[in-house]
Amino acid sequence: MTKTRRLVLGILILTGAAFGQSTKTKQGHTNQNKFKQLKELLPTPNLQRTASGAPGIKYTQQKVDYTMGIILDDVNRRIYGDETITYHNNSDDTLAYLWVQLDQNMRAADSKTPDIQTSKIPNSISKTKFNKSYMDAPFDGGFKIESVLNMNDSNLQYTVNRTMMRINLPQPLVSGAKFEFKIKWWYNINNHRTDGGRSGYEHFSKDGNNNYVIAQFYPRLCVYDNIEGWQNEQFWGRSEFALEFGDFTVNITTPEDHMLGATGVLLNEADVLTKKELKRLKVAKTTFDNPVLIRTQEEAEKTEKNKSKKTKIWKFYAENVRDYAFATSRKFIWDAMAVDINGKTVMAHSLYSKEANPLYGDHSTRAVVQTLKTYSKYTFDYPYHKAISVDGQMGMEYPQICFNPGRPDLPDGGYSDRVKYRMIKVTIHEVGHNFFPMIVNSDERQWTWMDEGLNSYVEMLAELEYDKDFPVTRGYPKNIVGYMSGDQSQIAPIMSKGDHVYEFGNNAYGKPATALWILRETIMGKELFDHAFRTYSQRWMFKHPTPADFFRTMEDASGIDLDWFWRGWFYSTDVTDIGIENVRKFYAADGEDKSVNFIEDTTEGLKINKSKTAKSKYFYEIAFNKPGGLVMPIIVAYTYDDGTTEKKTYPAQIWRYNDNQVTKVVHSEKQIIKIVIDPDLETADVDLSNNSFPKDIEDAFSRFKTKMKN
Amino acid sequence: MKFKKLYFLFIIIPLLAFSTHKYYLSLTQIKFKEESKAVQIIINVFMDDIEIALNKDYDIDLQLTTKKELKNNDVYFERYLKNKLQLKINALKKEFTYIGKEYDGDLVYFYLEIENITNVTSIEVTNKILLTHFPKQENLIKSEVNRINKSVLLSKDYYLEKLSYQ
Repeated sequence: MTKTRRLVLGILILTGAAFGQSTKTKQGHTNQNKFKQLKELLPTPNLQRTASGAPGIKYTQQKVDYTMGIILDDVNRRIYGDETITYHNNSDDTLAYLWVQLDQNMRAADSKTPDIQTSKIPNSISKTKFNKSYMDAPFDGGFKIESVLNMNDSNLQYTVNRTMMRINLPQPLVSGAKFEFKIKWWYNINNHRTDGGRSGYEHFSKDGNNNYVIAQFYPRLCVYDNIEGWQNEQFWGRSEFALEFGDFTVNITTPEDHMLGATGVLLNEADVLTKKELKRLKVAKTTFDNPVLIRTQEEAEKTEKNKSKKTKIWKFYAENVRDYAFATSRKFIWDAMAVDINGKTVMAHSLYSKEANPLYGDHSTRAVVQTLKTYSKYTFDYPYHKAISVDGQMGMEYPQICFNPGRPDLPDGGYSDRVKYRMIKVTIHEVGHNFFPMIVNSDERQWTWMDEGLNSYVEMLAELEYDKDFPVTRGYPKNIVGYMSGDQSQIAPIMSKGDHVYEFGNNAYGKPATALWILRETIMGKELFDHAFRTYSQRWMFKHPTPADFFRTMEDASGIDLDWFWRGWFYSTDVTDIGIENVRKFYAADGEDKSVNFIEDTTEGLKINKSKTAKSKYFYEIAFNKPGGLVMPIIVAYTYDDGTTEKKTYPAQIWRYNDNQVTKVVHSEKQIIKIVIDPDLETADVDLSNNSFPKDIEDAFSRFKTKMKN
Repeated sequence: MKFKKLYFLFIIIPLLAFSTHKYYLSLTQIKFKEESKAVQIIINVFMDDIEIALNKDYDIDLQLTTKKELKNNDVYFERYLKNKLQLKINALKKEFTYIGKEYDGDLVYFYLEIENITNVTSIEVTNKILLTHFPKQENLIKSEVNRINKSVLLSKDYYLEKLSYQ
């Protein structure tokens, strides 16, 4: 080491030591950049699920076929089932047992669902509720399993774990093999109007009838895949279902005077419908403009007066569906019409009691038609032969059939616009579920948002196509601000299990629908978004997609890196808040040596006072800050002194080096008089008070107060 | 520990068949604005529900947002809100001024204000809005005082809660 070098080193050490007294050794950090790729969060791609987000060459899926004899006991409000299940093991694995879902056990007398709710003494309570909560024995709506048998009628070993049942196989089921077994069961049907539920009956005391909407009613196989193994998480009542596809052969015995709608093709029309009804149904099958009444209100009113003791059997076959449901009553009016889906005729049906008319007669079937058309346009052609909307007075979806709310609310028996729009909205939503998750079959037990969020987004498009002035209530960015700006301890990321979120509607429906709306309208553009969304839908038709498959496909098919968007909107509870911290203003003047100097005007406001002789553009250095955690594009409207406005969008990547503040220079021939961020409320910015320069936006309350004064 | 209570209130929803959409929820946003020395309240409710409730309670026909809309209906709204919503600030009962209402889609927004408040340490809210006619009604209260956010979900059985900001 030379002398000089030693000297330099000595000085370095000394200075280091001197500073070292006040500062620690600098610490490193991991990559916290908001644009860091999601690789560490997403599962590693494999031959079953590729890095592009598509199913891989080794993708497999189990298949489960059901043959069921169902008997509805209208007098005792019970349902009996005799079920043969054929389980096809298409996976590469050998299975020692099968898991079966017993959803109705959530309603068993010993259900643990009420036990996980904490409780406190109410302020006051109605007598009925008091009796129900503290005096009456709990309703027993659990499954009564009568037998679980091999095909030769020998007992098959099984273990019930609350809402799940393990079938212990006599010998391991190898890859490619199938296993058949039988379950016999019954249960007491719940009154869904008084006790809640996504299935049950509604009682009409006036005429003594019941409308049955029956679903989750039979022991159903769990999904087995390479993501969860067996998806056998308990059913607590909220997070819905994960189901395999299969073929259903179902015979349903009802009172002879019932009208019934169900999943699948009705095989014995001539046995169960009158000649008149058969004739009208034939007309409906070629009527594309208006619903055709197959059973009229007059006929239904006549039927509801009888209580036939005789029965009849409805025979159905449903191919490649993930579930089965039906609705039946003496009270049902029935109308139907045909829909043309790219040259294929699909039938739209509605079943409703007179209490729901004229609302259902006017709008139910038409809403079904709109849904099939719009959804087919943005995803894939509806592959089933029909879709039914039932006056079930809830909002719940099953393959080819759904149960919807809404009854006339006006004293004269008519209905208000609000009741009408709400009924249409829910009908579109529930029929839309035929696409997500009935066909694009995501796991609802784990990821509620994957079907509810995607469906709520396409629902918006269908509503706007039904009526361009449709009062869309969910999905616009400004509508989610109230939720996203709320108490953080009461908000969960979208990527949470449905059972664990606080505000279910906002978390699983509203926020993901808004996120997709923003992607389409603001981040990706309609063309790129629509192509990617359609690609995802078609890739995963009749398969089981996961969030990673969705995220990857949206990027793979559009060529846009969205990892930052998924990370912020789906994995965190961060909010958008972008503001203008400061604006500096300049004009240019010639300096020495052919240089140009920028002369700053340090007065308040945006107006630049430059001498009239100075020939120069106007320059503005704008400091944008970002109090919110989300990175989003900066959308700016510049208003000039001639009254014109120009909108400019700086992509989200502008925040890649500095997550808190960025500066940007704009130059112009005209003076800028006003700068506004996110002028059209596209980003769900939670605080608009910092969005303008000069500041002028008042909060909602002051704005209203000013309005009232004027 | 406060959150456990809230958690219960939120999780009760699924038992009421909340797979979806026709839900009965109002939002009351309470904000203490120090610079204005005022507690400002914005409430939004579903228009069809509040219309049904007032029509029944006062035997009127509101016909909101239609050509036949009942004139001077603010009188009824003010009477209804005074009847259903009570506030105690720092344990003292305070009357609010009804500033007015506006419509947005299927929602009605009400604007209420309590003036001459210099300091807030707690707000006790009694909210019985829509509870009489809608057994599944829930009223979400969100508040912001001195940059502290507190929220609570009230319902038919639990319509009173004290929120503290200390």
